[in-house]
Amino acid sequence: MVELDSHDTTAGEHRSWRSAARVRAGTARGTGGAARARLRLGAAVSVLALLVLAALLVPTLSSAPGTVDYQAVRLSPGPEHPFGTDTSGRDLFVRSLAGLRVSLLVAVVSTAVSALLGTAVGAVSGSLGGWADRLLMRVVDAVNAVPHLLLGIVIVALYQGTVLAVVLSIGLTHWATVARVVRSEVLGLRNRPYVDAAVSSGAGRWWVLRKHLLPAIVPQAALSAVLLVPHAVFHETALSFLGLGLPPHLASIGNILSDGREGVLLGAWWIVAFPAALLVATTLSVSGIAAVWRDRVVPTRRSELAL
Amino acid sequence: MLRAREVVAGYDRGRAVLDRVDVVVPPGAVRGLAGPSGCGKSTLARVLALLQRPWSGTVELDGRPVRGARYSVPAELRTAVGIVFQQPRPAVDPRMTLRQVVSEPLRARGIRRPWRRVGELAELTGLNDELLDRMPHEVSDGQLQRACLARAVAPRPRYLICDEMTGMLDASTTAALVRVVGELVNEEGTGVLAISHDEPLLLAWAGDDVIRW
Amino acid sequence: MQEPPLLWLDDMSVRFELGRSRGSGPVHAVTDARVRLSPGQVLALVGESGCGKSVLASALLGLLPSNAWIRGRAWLHPGTDEEVELLSSSEHVLARRVRGRRIGLVPQSAATHLTPVRTARDQLAETFRELRGRVDHGSVDELAGRVGLAPADLAHYPHELSGGMAQRVAVASALVADPSVVIADEPTTGLDRPLVDRVTDLLGELADRNRGVLLITHDLAAAKRVATHVAVMYASRVVESGPAEEVFHRPWHPYTKGLLEAMPEAGFQPVPGHPPALTELAELEREWGCVFCLRCPDTPGVAPCNGDPALVEYGSRSVAAHPPC
Repeated sequence: MVELDSHDTTAGEHRSWRSAARVRAGTARGTGGAARARLRLGAAVSVLALLVLAALLVPTLSSAPGTVDYQAVRLSPGPEHPFGTDTSGRDLFVRSLAGLRVSLLVAVVSTAVSALLGTAVGAVSGSLGGWADRLLMRVVDAVNAVPHLLLGIVIVALYQGTVLAVVLSIGLTHWATVARVVRSEVLGLRNRPYVDAAVSSGAGRWWVLRKHLLPAIVPQAALSAVLLVPHAVFHETALSFLGLGLPPHLASIGNILSDGREGVLLGAWWIVAFPAALLVATTLSVSGIAAVWRDRVVPTRRSELAL
Repeated sequence: MLRAREVVAGYDRGRAVLDRVDVVVPPGAVRGLAGPSGCGKSTLARVLALLQRPWSGTVELDGRPVRGARYSVPAELRTAVGIVFQQPRPAVDPRMTLRQVVSEPLRARGIRRPWRRVGELAELTGLNDELLDRMPHEVSDGQLQRACLARAVAPRPRYLICDEMTGMLDASTTAALVRVVGELVNEEGTGVLAISHDEPLLLAWAGDDVIRW
Repeated sequence: MQEPPLLWLDDMSVRFELGRSRGSGPVHAVTDARVRLSPGQVLALVGESGCGKSVLASALLGLLPSNAWIRGRAWLHPGTDEEVELLSSSEHVLARRVRGRRIGLVPQSAATHLTPVRTARDQLAETFRELRGRVDHGSVDELAGRVGLAPADLAHYPHELSGGMAQRVAVASALVADPSVVIADEPTTGLDRPLVDRVTDLLGELADRNRGVLLITHDLAAAKRVATHVAVMYASRVVESGPAEEVFHRPWHPYTKGLLEAMPEAGFQPVPGHPPALTELAELEREWGCVFCLRCPDTPGVAPCNGDPALVEYGSRSVAAHPPC
């Protein structure tokens, strides 16, 4: 005979609730992975918030944002000018943040253009199927086959010097990625049993697209759009750096870097280093947020509760 | 009556799952269809529900042949045949409440506020107001299947295909849903094709009218 | 006194924490489960979907999602040198000493659990290598033979196997290390009756060889065919348990009665009403005691219902709230 009741000597502890995840890990503390992800997300969000706030407020509040002062050219960073001054004696701290504001605005608007166009093309292509799908996908291939920067340069060259041209040149070259993502999502969804059930009960194509397909792909589409933002910032910078982008009087990061080229040769490293650092910090924080978000959108992680 | 005439259908080219199948679903009665898994019962269900185009042969609805499948079939014909699948969970959009699920066939046909009919359907299938406001992941398989049945019969189909409708359900929910379908047959004259591999169930459901494959 | 059990659950409970924003309490998935599985038994855990029976199995194998909380104890081989308390064991212990080795798992819909690009023989051989350190094709064939598969059947890829054959491959891989406990989670879903019978008979043969089988199913007919013992679960609680023949022949709890009367050959009468939401059980129990009260003809606290949700032993059988008269 076995004394089953002898186990009760350890009474007490087993009556309290224990987290399954912690027991499994064999540790009293949390698994760490989730905590690290939260920390990363927090850091990314606060860096981005700080940058955006600074870009919005500093140039507006500063007394003389774009003042040229030939008495103070190429001053190295110091208490009066935290980022130093450029070859025309403008304060780089204010000017870089103003540039960031312009660059971000252009990037966000052109990303929105890409996302809308890409979602529309991808959704239509995926839900219609057949020849319409094949045709649209060949267009996507064609857009993808030409280097983005080259295509962008052509568009900008046609309408040089306007903000709209830059927005369109980025927007019209980047929707193809979004379209592909959205289309493959739609293809996976359109034969789901719940779509079958809707079709069987008389729903039309448009109803199914609006009520079942689009709501399901919004997270994926939005994610691929956010992933485009850093890319678009770099594109804008590259176009402006080449002198093809925004009009020179608009301080964008690209224009500032372009202006700073000669300064660097004269030893004024800060003219390029600080604006570039702002650019890198912004893009890194955006992609950091997108990475955490992607982990949440991935479906295997979504269903925590399987009864 | 709903009839599959000489239907050949399948998924991969050259491998027909159904080979010249003839099945008749009479109105106002339950006809059972029993057979081992993989014999094409579900394919027949999809063909009869106008969700899949047969390679050859036709589906006849009250004597008239139906051309095409899915969107190419006029909505009035599609709503004449309802279908309930084996697994309720994938058959429901996870972003909709049960109320939205049940009312979808009516809203999709342009009825803005079908709430009175939804109330009737809920009462028929044994759902209540509180359950209708829940999301699919907040209810059990049995409750979800009740909603699927309510959705299938919402547009008052003349025929109903139950493709292993009770395969995932416990005895009590099975009995409850079979009763609901029985009421439809008696009161609305719905013609039902009950597909299952469970012969004792079919015998209790369809009486002697069971086709064996 | 009974012989020592292979598996003994002592007041095991599982809760799921839903997001704070949901505004509802935790999900009561399993509450104070007391289950005893002895050698030679097929214990059928029956109940409707969402009553917590699959969660119970996941908890024993350490496969709960990370938002789960557990309480109570589950002993494997209690009172022996090999005793393991499953609910406080780390993943390391469960993976190295328990899963596959001492508890075999037969999953629901085996076909999706097999790797599509490898033959049944490859997959069995790999399980052999992993659990026994080596593989010889003689023992693979012998094991396959025991579950009714011919050596030629093993040369097929999963998509070439019928549902029943795939399920038998799954049973075979659960048996590779000759575990003393086999947990089968809805092993017959989607199979037709002859295949259901064959799979359940396989589980019965295991019990004949002095193993313990925990059969989790909503299919009462399958349970009736093979179970030596039965535990009926309703809304997170085991409401009745005991030797299968006695429970099926003379059920004590009204829910067990209801389930049996709902079978096609026994009247086809559904139990009225709905199971309660798993987030509302605490409130329900506070108010009424018994979780079945809303669908029960009896009034809690008035005979024959005493309103106590705990499972109470009466000889070889146990029942909650409805003591035998």
